[in-house]
Amino acid sequence: MNNALLLLQRLNNGLAVLAGGLLLVSVLVTIVDIVLRQTGNSLGGTDELSGYAMAIATSWGMSYTLTNLAHVRIDLVRARCNPPLRSLFDAIALLSLAGTAIVIAYRVWPVLEKSIENSSTANTTLETPLWIPQSMWMAGWLWFAVSAVLMTLVLIISAFQSDYEAINRTAGLGDDV
Amino acid sequence: MILFTASGLLIFLSLSIPVGIVLFLLAFGIDALFSPFPLMRGLGQVIWSSSNSATLIAIPFFVMLGEILVRSGIAQRTYAALEAWVSWLPGGLIHANIATATLFSATSGSSVATAATVASVAMPQAERLNYDPRLFSGAIAAGGTLGIMIPPSINLIVYGFLTETSIPKLFLAGLVPGLLLALLFMVVTAILCIINPSLGGPGSSSNWRRKLTGLVDLLPLLVLFGSIVGAIYAGWATPTEAAAIGVAMAMLIAGGQRALSVSMIIESLKGTVRTTSMIMLVVIGAYVLNFVLTASGVSGALRDFLEHLGLGQLETLLVIILMYIVLGFFIETLSLMVATIPIVVPIIIQIGYDPLWFGILMIMLVEMALITPPVGLNLYVVQAARKSGKFSDVMIGVIPYAVAMLVMVALLVMFPSIALYLPNNF
Repeated sequence: MNNALLLLQRLNNGLAVLAGGLLLVSVLVTIVDIVLRQTGNSLGGTDELSGYAMAIATSWGMSYTLTNLAHVRIDLVRARCNPPLRSLFDAIALLSLAGTAIVIAYRVWPVLEKSIENSSTANTTLETPLWIPQSMWMAGWLWFAVSAVLMTLVLIISAFQSDYEAINRTAGLGDDV
Repeated sequence: MILFTASGLLIFLSLSIPVGIVLFLLAFGIDALFSPFPLMRGLGQVIWSSSNSATLIAIPFFVMLGEILVRSGIAQRTYAALEAWVSWLPGGLIHANIATATLFSATSGSSVATAATVASVAMPQAERLNYDPRLFSGAIAAGGTLGIMIPPSINLIVYGFLTETSIPKLFLAGLVPGLLLALLFMVVTAILCIINPSLGGPGSSSNWRRKLTGLVDLLPLLVLFGSIVGAIYAGWATPTEAAAIGVAMAMLIAGGQRALSVSMIIESLKGTVRTTSMIMLVVIGAYVLNFVLTASGVSGALRDFLEHLGLGQLETLLVIILMYIVLGFFIETLSLMVATIPIVVPIIIQIGYDPLWFGILMIMLVEMALITPPVGLNLYVVQAARKSGKFSDVMIGVIPYAVAMLVMVALLVMFPSIALYLPNNF
């Protein structure tokens, strides 16, 4: 079970580097645009592309932040509990996260579906077909839900074994805040 | 409905459910219980329009800038250079802590990163030179909070985004209060060390030659700050574009320090994605809650509620300030801001205050949240950088600076122009 978790973590590490790479590319594009503007030219549409990059990097980063246990939680009561009770807090937190992630994944699908049905394009000079950025964005949220469900499974198995240490690794709080 | 929202918020948060998720759950709950039509059908569209934003991409850019800068090793040189300039004051190196934190704040958008950087550089000095560990570490924790006030500031971007306030104007408004607070910190330090010299320690003896050569080491950060802020106000770049320029310059600085490598960039990218998604889950959650609160008429209910309370303008403001101070003991900076903006800012505008000014006041209050125990992130960051000693040292050391912050809050309420003069005149 530990291996499954490690595999998921490693996969999400790779995805995080990709998402970060996308952000780095938008830094470059933005700078090229600023420089060109000073000479009277412009790439045009940089804003629009940055927006897509932000939406995609955000949705794909969610699962990395999740496997790193870095989503902010208020540790006030939990920190004062013994390990079994603390595991209960972690389980509540992970279950509510997984539930919400599933609702989000379910609700973002119609956005893409409608764009495909109507062949919507962005209301800009680029006239980007919206399904392109939206499908990448949706896939990120879908993966977030899948990651959360996988972690919940690991947590349930650890709970049956009363392995509080494993629960802490799966759903506790990261070391570095 | 208000009671449901407020109590749900507190209960879910104390269950240690992730803050962003709490906001989603509240939105789901209000929709199910109070809304006459199903709002959650629009959830996907709300998430898309809140994250597809060329304004918000400034957040990962500024985070990336900080990640690169922290790994570049520039902090050591900056600290040494500032030490030569300020350590003759009563309190010695403590002033260098505050000054380094101020300069780092001016380039990074995050308080925790600022405190962590300064602490890692300064803490070994305190032990070597026999400083009182309490005041020394307190100054780092408090100085680090300036990161979210002095522009560029990630928190101000989030505030501007959620309240539709101009971000360049917010940046201008934060400049004077931020510098004033830094000055206040130094005055407090000097007074305490004059009264009780054993709190401080020896400053380094310095001469003009060292001071002037040190200036060269300050140049990279000053140029970085100048080009970010300059590009915005010269009209060349939006805050987002200025952040991109900042990332490029941070790369140059790291290259100059010979700290640039593939693995360093990969680590910086991972750190950037982690922090960005952490922030964005909370921001998107707030955006969704905002949408539900407005659509289901909570804003109207709040207005009625206030009218029934019969409080005056100033009294309402004081109640709100008190609420932030109390909540600040338990809730972290960005979470505190984002969870309360949908509820508090409409009230503030309703009773006739300027949202620009309130943004700065709110930042000042959540800065306090960073250093008030039991949940005060900067306290832990500084404690983590110490090799030994009790956590309570940091907690006690930070008290004088927390008092200075309260003074600053009072000043902002009495003289709003401290924040508003620059944005209204430039």
